[in-house]
Amino acid sequence: MKYKSLAIIWLLGLISAIGVASSAPRTRKATEPAVYSSAEADAMRLEGEKRFRANCNRCHAAPHKFPPRMMATIVRHMRVRATITDDDMRYILFYMTQ
Amino acid sequence: MSYFWKKASLLRWPRVVLPASAGLFLLLSFTAGIAAGQSSDGEKAVPILTGTAGYFNFVTAGQNQVDAQINPVLLVPFGDRWLVESRAEFEGAFQRPPDGGSYGGMVSKNLDYLQADYIANPYLTVTMGRFLTPFGIFNERLYPIWIRSLQQDPLILPLSAESSDGMMLRGGFPVNAKVNLNYAAYVSAVSSGHNNLESDRNVGGRMGIFLPGPRVEVGTSWQKLLQEGRTHSFGFHFAWQPTRLPLNIHSEYARSNQGSGYWIDGAYRLSQVLFWQKALRRLEFAGRAEQFFNGQISSDEAQALGLPAANTREGEFGLNYYLHDGLKAVASYGRQFSSAGNLNLWTVGIAYRFAVPLGRVGSQ
Repeated sequence: MKYKSLAIIWLLGLISAIGVASSAPRTRKATEPAVYSSAEADAMRLEGEKRFRANCNRCHAAPHKFPPRMMATIVRHMRVRATITDDDMRYILFYMTQ
Repeated sequence: MSYFWKKASLLRWPRVVLPASAGLFLLLSFTAGIAAGQSSDGEKAVPILTGTAGYFNFVTAGQNQVDAQINPVLLVPFGDRWLVESRAEFEGAFQRPPDGGSYGGMVSKNLDYLQADYIANPYLTVTMGRFLTPFGIFNERLYPIWIRSLQQDPLILPLSAESSDGMMLRGGFPVNAKVNLNYAAYVSAVSSGHNNLESDRNVGGRMGIFLPGPRVEVGTSWQKLLQEGRTHSFGFHFAWQPTRLPLNIHSEYARSNQGSGYWIDGAYRLSQVLFWQKALRRLEFAGRAEQFFNGQISSDEAQALGLPAANTREGEFGLNYYLHDGLKAVASYGRQFSSAGNLNLWTVGIAYRFAVPLGRVGSQ
């Protein structure tokens, strides 16, 4: 019974956390706009590298850069496997493909 | 014995499926309203065949085991939101008989996962099929031989199921600019252990908080058996990658009726050394300390599950040399202390990661 209560609390905590996230200020999407100035692209690459180091390097060394269509698949796979956030995935994909 | 596969009771199964389905519906409805945008990857994704191959010599208490393995991973994306992914494991483990003679052994094969992922929105991915059980971090993130810093499995790894067949909800999202939250919750009709034994139905989950600034993650996992003993397992994990040092630290604690224990490992890459940089930046030192405590099962049952038969302590140190991207040579030495006997563990080998596109890779 005690464990059942814990499970319910765990689930409620999870749903609450999603609710909290919904009220969090949203960062700008990495894929908006479609065309970037040189300065914007540089800034996004730097941000992408930072997020790559924070997320990917936690488990493995940096791989060499694959073609963009391969990277799109790999990053989607890692998004699911490592529960990377949507924004992180976009910045990392930009960094790994540009 | 509740650890082994028993025929699922069809009468009890709706008790799991119905609440899970209702929960999924509620969660999808809830998050659909708060999703800010679509999860477009920008580039048109192409199917990939990737995976690892490795050859190792494991010398345990003087007994050499030749281990050759290949673990292909197939990734097939559909549209912007779907991904079908699968990993198989083919492993040959060969030993010389105690009385001499030529090497012999078995070639095992295992389907680690075959899952369909639907990225519903930035907060939620729905996974169906066979998936790696999200308990702790080693099984899902650190298991591949080209990723793990030491090739020996942690002692507590068999405490949770390796794979589960069912449905899982998972995701990761920023709570604010400094905190990301990740979660996974699943219900499983069948779960398979690391020794390929099938076990019972499970429900469980994992939740973690990641601080991107200091690069620290802490989290907890939970698993409940849905039949027989209806036992619980729980665990905690910790990961830290200091921003100023090429150091990775991972740790897990797990407890169940089968036993409990912890491991902590660190890997330090010599990329900041000022001399012989060309060679030394490819070198990594790794170390692990771990301990296992017996649970409420017999030593025979423990060994059948792949757990130590007695309370055990172990320390291991190793060197990894990255010859090329995805190719590393490994060597390590460990010492195991147990009431069943102390022994040395030597490992030497090579691990390789490959990735091949299964379509045109030119940018769209």
